[in-house]
Amino acid sequence: MDIRPKVLVTKIGLDGHDRGSRVVAAHLRDAGMEVVYTPPWQKIEAVVKLAMEEDVDVIGVSSLATDHLIVPKLMAALRDAGLTDVVVIVGGIVPDADEQALLDVGVARVFHPGSPLDEISAYITEATARVRAARFPA
Amino acid sequence: MKRDATAVGAHARPDVALRLAAIRAGERAAIARAITAIENDIASARALSAALAADAGRAHVVGVTGPPGAGKSTLINALLAEFAARGRRIAVVAIDPSSPITGGAVLGDRVRMHAAGAAESVFIRSLASRGHAGGLAKATRRIVDLLDAAGFDAIVVETVGAGQSDVGIAALADTSVVVCPPGLGDDVQAIKAGILEIADVLVVNKGDQPAADRTEQELRDMLRLRAHRPGWAVRVLRTVATTGDGVPALVDALDAHATDAGRGRRLARAPAPPAATAVESRLRGFCAADPYQRLNALEFVESGPGTVTMRMRVAPQHLNFNGKCHGGAIFTLADSAFGVAANAYGVVAAGIDTHTTFQVAVSEGDVLTARSLEVSRNAKIAVYRVDVTRGDGTVVASFTGTVFMTRRPHQARPDDLRP
Amino acid sequence: MNKPLPEPIPASTEEAHVRWAAEYSAQIGADRAVHNRSGIPVRPLYTPLDVDPARFDADVGFPGQPPYTRGIYATMHRGRTWTQRQLIGLGTPAAYNARLTDILGQGGTAVSLIPCNSVFRGYDMDEVDEELLGTCGVVANSADHMATCLAGVDLATTSCAMNDPSPFTLLAFMLATAKRNGVDWRTISGTSNQSDYLSHYVANHMFFRLALPGARRILVDHIRWCNEHVPRWNPLSVVGQHTQQAGATPAESMAFTLAAAVQYADDCVAAGMSPDAFLPRFTFFFDVSISFFEEIAKFRAGRRIWARIARERWGARDPRSWRFKFHAQTSGVDLTRQQPLNNIARVTAQAIAGIFGGLQSLHTDAYDEALSCPTQFGARIAVATQNILREEAHLTDVIDPLGGSYYVEALTNEMEARVLAIMADVEAAGGMYRAVESGLVQRRIGESACRFQERIDRGEQTVVGVNAYQVDEDASARPALPKPDPAEMRAHLGAFTAWKAQRPAQAVAAALDGVARAANDGDANVFAAVVAAAEAGCTHGEICGTLRREVGFGMPLTVV
Repeated sequence: MDIRPKVLVTKIGLDGHDRGSRVVAAHLRDAGMEVVYTPPWQKIEAVVKLAMEEDVDVIGVSSLATDHLIVPKLMAALRDAGLTDVVVIVGGIVPDADEQALLDVGVARVFHPGSPLDEISAYITEATARVRAARFPA
Repeated sequence: MKRDATAVGAHARPDVALRLAAIRAGERAAIARAITAIENDIASARALSAALAADAGRAHVVGVTGPPGAGKSTLINALLAEFAARGRRIAVVAIDPSSPITGGAVLGDRVRMHAAGAAESVFIRSLASRGHAGGLAKATRRIVDLLDAAGFDAIVVETVGAGQSDVGIAALADTSVVVCPPGLGDDVQAIKAGILEIADVLVVNKGDQPAADRTEQELRDMLRLRAHRPGWAVRVLRTVATTGDGVPALVDALDAHATDAGRGRRLARAPAPPAATAVESRLRGFCAADPYQRLNALEFVESGPGTVTMRMRVAPQHLNFNGKCHGGAIFTLADSAFGVAANAYGVVAAGIDTHTTFQVAVSEGDVLTARSLEVSRNAKIAVYRVDVTRGDGTVVASFTGTVFMTRRPHQARPDDLRP
Repeated sequence: MNKPLPEPIPASTEEAHVRWAAEYSAQIGADRAVHNRSGIPVRPLYTPLDVDPARFDADVGFPGQPPYTRGIYATMHRGRTWTQRQLIGLGTPAAYNARLTDILGQGGTAVSLIPCNSVFRGYDMDEVDEELLGTCGVVANSADHMATCLAGVDLATTSCAMNDPSPFTLLAFMLATAKRNGVDWRTISGTSNQSDYLSHYVANHMFFRLALPGARRILVDHIRWCNEHVPRWNPLSVVGQHTQQAGATPAESMAFTLAAAVQYADDCVAAGMSPDAFLPRFTFFFDVSISFFEEIAKFRAGRRIWARIARERWGARDPRSWRFKFHAQTSGVDLTRQQPLNNIARVTAQAIAGIFGGLQSLHTDAYDEALSCPTQFGARIAVATQNILREEAHLTDVIDPLGGSYYVEALTNEMEARVLAIMADVEAAGGMYRAVESGLVQRRIGESACRFQERIDRGEQTVVGVNAYQVDEDASARPALPKPDPAEMRAHLGAFTAWKAQRPAQAVAAALDGVARAANDGDANVFAAVVAAAEAGCTHGEICGTLRREVGFGMPLTVV
């Protein structure tokens, strides 16, 4: 079975600083992954629909300027749509005080500035293996 | 949204019947998950495809191809809006190229499609080509069948857009749309031998640009020189995808072609190849009787409907002066997989054209595998694609070949040819 | 035993150079190749052999004179240092005003205003997720809000920088406020800081953007209107910061910025304006990274190129048209989340590079910017950093103190060549507008961004605390994200929606209709209509929404 990870790299909310999401998307592609990339400013409903139709293994949300504050809304919307098995990670500037709040609503991991790209891709590879094993039991 | 939640519960259970029901009911999550299974060739997907086969043939399959920069994605976005205005449910399958080196891909069509993609009546799925030539991904046909069974009114397939090579769409789509940017000029010459010939509808997009008049005229001139297919005169239309101008007329043309040519064309193509086992023994016989294959130590691995797999270990005799595997040796392997597959139908198939790209250098000791796939076939012409891969799965060369199907049966049974 | 002594004094510079080179190679063994961020190879030593003394007048010269390498004014920082402009903005207009008063009391000499991201994106506060309001800037949606923001500030004497993308509603609100207070528009000075719409397409997607043709037209209208009605206002700030933050190398960033400025000036000339009417009001805004000498050379080269283009391309005669005035902001990209106090040292080095580069205005980042929007404590240290550099460190005693350094002069020449080569690529693609439309610029920036990150990941570029010298930290010592007081923000939102509902509907509708009609009339001035709408009580979201409908919204032209 091919477990080439399929990853959605996106930005929700208002901010448009997309260097991080572009660099991460390019790195994941070069690591052999299939990356669905969106420009910034996605609406939460659009992200949910996209994640469902593309059946992605992992959603990476980039937040540089406080957009992480609406990630709990995204998590609730994913849950309402039944997308409970997709792994959500957040990358960017997330103050420590807010990180726990994200983990509490089901975000799997927060990558802070300075995280090596290889660490991010290694995490996604491992998470995908878990997701696929659950989705397609042998 | 509630429907989707049920669907997730459904495909968590390995119950094919439940999943079938969810797909037939058009449940988004169930459809998406089944596509993943097909794309990754998961065993259970075969049973699902087989069960859904009877449901296919209702949807209108529209292929959209054209050179890069023609505005295919923007046009599809505008098409979706027009389809939605006419109350139709549409699925889009958009294919993006995979890197031949890493296998990775950025599925970026969303960048341009997201406005229309948000509509409830639209389902969009991107596929990476994963080294498959012809502008499509390997599983595209089966995915289109699935979406057809799921009850979409139309399925729009957007090809990679690499230009001439995207002819694979003609075998899949009921209606092929070729999108041209204005001002192609000399490029018209270049592409008319390729993708223009598969067009049922030709669209000059960005039709508000000054060069659009000339391009439209060039295309019409070209059509006049060409033999028409009976019953359908190829239409040339002008659109401005960014404003939606000309898009209603395009949908009218698509509808007219569907009425004229019917739906489910892909299902009626090419008779099913003969049963595998009998064929395979015959093909093995061809190989055993082929002195050039023996000279190069090629090995027959397996065959299936329209496909043959062969193997070669790169030995010192295969090397060039740089110490790498000679291109001719790689070609020989690909050409053999192609030739043997094309000769599976009881008549002599004569190779008339091939094209090979070498992507990665190959060293002594590497084991190369060539797998041929039948892209299209009719009574006279068949087209095959061959991927040559290394042990680690890297595609090292891509090969396409065309054969002329003679009416001559093979002169002797392969057994008789054995030394 | 003693080694035989070499001849004490070499016969010539060349001989001495050969002797040094031999000794250097013998001692260092295999030398590592060093390149700066722009890809220019850097040698271990620079000598008189690296500069041509005959070209002193052509390449170096004197401050305040062509070629302007050493600065655009004869006095430079010895005469007047620089405008200390801290970009601030958080929460409600009242909270912003309190913060502004604090900064001005500590030595800040000018106003800057960063609006909330909802404003940047062209929305009113009642159109977006409430959680996000005021977390990154001040929520100002109307002339009344602007009046609160700037209460107590004398607009006739204080320079104001508005982070105000097209269609420049914040300036319109400020002008409405000034008129109410009886301040003559002709006395108002400052800059429209985010007027460079092309940079918003290629790099910073934070801003409200009209589709490219509409944005292009409104900028020309804005420049023309400001020149006539607010003559001391700089209607255009061409922004190199966005491209460099997005990953462009310093040379690329300078090249794309100059190419954008060329495009805007060409557009103004095509619209019938005289170069000497608008060029004196062109300003630039750059990122200054920690690549110290490279940044200094970037600014010196940019000054030289701009003065030449202004004279040769448009035939500008007024020396004010030749002057490359720029604001610099220390680069947030170099700041780290790890050991955040280290960022104070980084900002200091960046700021010195900007000062030696000859800047006219400076923003120093707060050390906590990689963690959150800056806290008040962080902002204070950033201001103090500038005060120390300006008044304690003796950096401003001498004009262009690095001028004549063999290295700096040689590097300035090499940066100039590199910048010109990139500008030639853009010109060949049909100019900056076309190069952005086609994605050329975005692709180059994307590639450079990936290369830079890979160098860090491979350890080729040390980043203290990230890929070297890591320490275990107490995360609780890091500051929390300053969030606006939710009760205040809710009250602000409530008051706004109530006010919106009770406005004279007809006057608002008529003013918005005026904006729509101007947008569809090639002879009208869209910005004039925006100012009229601001005075009539229209909101930011209403004006942006009208233009979004009339001239189209611009999606980011992103390239991975």
